[in-house]
Amino acid sequence: MKKMIALLLTATMVLSMTACGSKKEDAAADSDAAATEDAATEDAADEDTADTESADDTSAESDLEYVKDKGVLVVGITNFEPMDYKEEDSDEWVGFDADMAKAFAESLGVEVEFVEIDWDNKIMELDGKTIDCVWNGMTLTDEVTSAMDCSNAYCNNAQVVVVPADVADQYQDTDSLKDLAFAVETGSAGETEVDALGLNYTPVASQADALMEVSAKTSDAAVIDLLMAAAMIGEGTDYANLTHTVELNSEEYGVGFRKGSDLVSALNDFFAAAYADGSLIACAEKYGVQDAILEQ
Amino acid sequence: MEHIMEQMPIVIQALNIGFLQTLKLFFITLIGALPFGLIISFGSMSKFRPLSYLCKLLVWIIRGTPLMIQLLIIYYFPGLVLKNPIWGSGEVGRFTAASVSFVLNYACYFSEIYRGGIQSVPAGQEEAGLVLGMTKTQIFFKIKLLQMIKHIVPPMSNEIMTLVKDTSLARIIALQEIIWAGQAFMKGSHGISGAIWPMFFTAVYYLIFNGIMTILLGRLEKKLDYFR
Amino acid sequence: MSILEVEHICKTFNKTEVLKDISFSLEKGQVVSIIGSSGSGKTTLLRCLNFLENPDQGVIRVNGETLFDSNDAATQQESAIRKKRLHFGLVFQSFNLFPQYTALENVMLAKELLAKEQPDYKSRKKEIHGEIQKQAEGLLQQMGLENRMNNYPHQLSGGQCQRVAIARALALQPDILCFDEPTSALDPELTGEVLKVIKELADKNTTMIIVTHEMAFARDVANHVIFMDEGVICEQGDPHEVFEHPKEERTKQFLSRFTQG
Repeated sequence: MKKMIALLLTATMVLSMTACGSKKEDAAADSDAAATEDAATEDAADEDTADTESADDTSAESDLEYVKDKGVLVVGITNFEPMDYKEEDSDEWVGFDADMAKAFAESLGVEVEFVEIDWDNKIMELDGKTIDCVWNGMTLTDEVTSAMDCSNAYCNNAQVVVVPADVADQYQDTDSLKDLAFAVETGSAGETEVDALGLNYTPVASQADALMEVSAKTSDAAVIDLLMAAAMIGEGTDYANLTHTVELNSEEYGVGFRKGSDLVSALNDFFAAAYADGSLIACAEKYGVQDAILEQ
Repeated sequence: MEHIMEQMPIVIQALNIGFLQTLKLFFITLIGALPFGLIISFGSMSKFRPLSYLCKLLVWIIRGTPLMIQLLIIYYFPGLVLKNPIWGSGEVGRFTAASVSFVLNYACYFSEIYRGGIQSVPAGQEEAGLVLGMTKTQIFFKIKLLQMIKHIVPPMSNEIMTLVKDTSLARIIALQEIIWAGQAFMKGSHGISGAIWPMFFTAVYYLIFNGIMTILLGRLEKKLDYFR
Repeated sequence: MSILEVEHICKTFNKTEVLKDISFSLEKGQVVSIIGSSGSGKTTLLRCLNFLENPDQGVIRVNGETLFDSNDAATQQESAIRKKRLHFGLVFQSFNLFPQYTALENVMLAKELLAKEQPDYKSRKKEIHGEIQKQAEGLLQQMGLENRMNNYPHQLSGGQCQRVAIARALALQPDILCFDEPTSALDPELTGEVLKVIKELADKNTTMIIVTHEMAFARDVANHVIFMDEGVICEQGDPHEVFEHPKEERTKQFLSRFTQG
C-alpha cells in the first residue's frame, strides 16, 4: 500500500514535470511560429551554443519580423517623469519617450505595450524577450552599449550634483566636492562620474534612494540625472530643501535593443523622419525637453 | 504636513492597488503551499528511496538559496536560456512566475514543519490505532492530523507572518506590490513626485495585516488548547 | 479446542534473538500471566500477537484459524492483517489514549469507523451511533468512570486513563485481551484500581494475556503462569506451582528478588 502511494507520488511528480515541459514546448511553438528563424536556432541547440555569433546574426535578421509577427512592441520602462509617466487619474503612459515609442510602433504597424521593469534587470528582460526595447531616458554608457545595440542618441542629459539648498553656494565647482560623502545609483552614469573623480561614495538602489540619503543627511550629496533632478527636487516636492549644482558631464540618451537587432536601424530611420517633419520637436516641446533634443 | 494631507487620498488609492497584489500573492502562496508542502513532506518521509531523495534534494536547493534568486531564475531563465519567455512580459505573467516561486519556496519550508509535526506524534498513537483495527488513512486523519496541527501552529504562524513581508521581494521581477507602489512616488507617479513618505507608510499596511493574522492564528492556537 | 495456539515463534532484531522458539496455548476464559525480567521478550511476544511485529518464524492460530504462518505467504498479506488484529485487544503500558478525544469518544472511535464499513450504515446511522454510545457508556460504567465520560485524557489520573484504555480495547469485543505491563507507568497508589478492574474481568471469564511485574497479582488472577527468560519460556504451569515450588534455577533466582524485597 505504502509503495503504491509512493509510486503514485513519483508518477505525479514526473507527470507534472513533463506537463511543465510540454507547456514550454507549446509556448515555444507559439512564439516560434512567429519567429521561424528562432525555432530553427532552438531546434539546433547545439549550433546555437557552438556559434553564438551566428545565432545573434540569425536573431538580428528576425527581430523586426518577430515584433511584426507578434503584433506588439513591448517597451521596458521605469516611471520617470517627463520621459515615461502616468497623469493623475489616468492609466495611460505618457511622456516624451512614451509618446515617441507609440509613434514608432504605429510606424511599424504594431501595438505598443509598456512594461514597468526593475532597472537593474533591463538586460535580462531584453535578452529573455520579456521586453523588446529599453526606452526610458537611458544614458548611453559603456555598459549599456556593450550589452545592447542602441539607437542614435536623441537627447542630451547631464549628471548633476544634488546638495541641500542652504549649503549649495559652497559647492559650485568640482574641487569643492572632494570632502563630501556621495550617494549614487549603483550602475548609473552618475556612479561612473563620481568614481572617475575619485570621490567618496555609497552605491544605492535607485536615484530616488540617493535623494533620500541626502535628505536624511546620511549622505552629503547625490549625483543624479539632470532631467530627473528637474522633476524630483525643489519647490513643491518632498525635497524642497535640495538643489542641484555642478554638472559633472554631459551625456546622451538612446534606445536599447537586443544585440544585432534590425530594429535599431528602423528606429534611426524613424527618428530621422520625425526630426525632419518636426514631429519630434513638437513632442519634446509638449514635455519641456526641447532644449535637450539632438539633431537626427 | 499640509501637502501630505493633500497627497493622502491619491497615495492611499495607489497603495491599496499595490496591497491588493501583495494580498493576492500572499493568499495564492498559502493556498498552494499548504497542501503542496504536505505532499513534499510525505515524499521526503517515503520509504521509496528515489522519491524521498528527490524531495530532500528539492528542499535543500530551495531552502539553501535566496528567494530573490529563485524569483529571478524562474522568471528570466526560460527566456534567457531556453529562448522561450513562457511567462510573457505583462503583469499576469510576472504574477504567475512570482506565485510559482513563492508556492515552491514556502511549500519546502512548510514541508519541514509538517515533517517535524508528524514525527512529534508519539509512535504509540499509531500503534493504538492499528490494534483497534484502523487503517493508516483513518489513523492519519482521525488521530494524527489534529495533534500534528496543534504542534505546528506556532512555527507556521511564524512562517505565515514572514510570508506577508516576503511578498515584497517579488518586485525584483517588477511585480508591482505595495512597496513598489510606495517607491513610485519618489520618482513621480499619479502627478506626485519626490514624495518619500508613501514608501514608509506601506509599513502601516503590513503592520495592520500582520496584526489581523496574529489575532486569527492566536485564536486557532487557543481553539486547540482543549487537549494536550 | 484452544482459543489460541502459538507455535515456534522466533523474532530477531538486528541480529539479536529476542524470541527463541516460543510455543504455548490458551483456553477460552483462561487468564495467562507472563512474568520475567525486562528484556526477556514478553512485550515483543504481545506485539507479535497483535501484528505490530511480524515473527520471523512460527504459527499463530485463533479458534483453529491460522492467522499467521511464516511458511505461508498468503497469511502475511498487509490487507488482511487489519481484520486479524480484531481478534486481539491490547492495553499499553503508557495508555496511548487519543488526547483530542474525550474518554467516551476514545472508546467509541474505532467501533464507529468499523461501522461505517457496514453496508446499511447510511440508512441506520443514528441507530448505530446510539448503540455504540450505549455500549461505550456501559463499559466506562463498568470501569467506574461514569462521572468521567466527557473528560479529556489530560484531565484524568493515570489509573483513570488506563481504565479508559481497557474500556477502549473491550469495545471491539476481542477474543483475547492482552495487557502490556498495565500498571508499570502508574504511581503505586493508583495500581490498585486498575488491578481491581482486571480482576473483575477475570472473574467474568474474559480470556486474557497479562504481562506484569505485579507477582502477587499474577499469582492470584492467573490460571496459568509463563516465566520467560532471554527469549525462551523457562517454566510454565499452575501459578501456585510456579510461584511456590519453582523447578528451574532461573525461576527461583527471579522470584527470590520479589520475596526478599
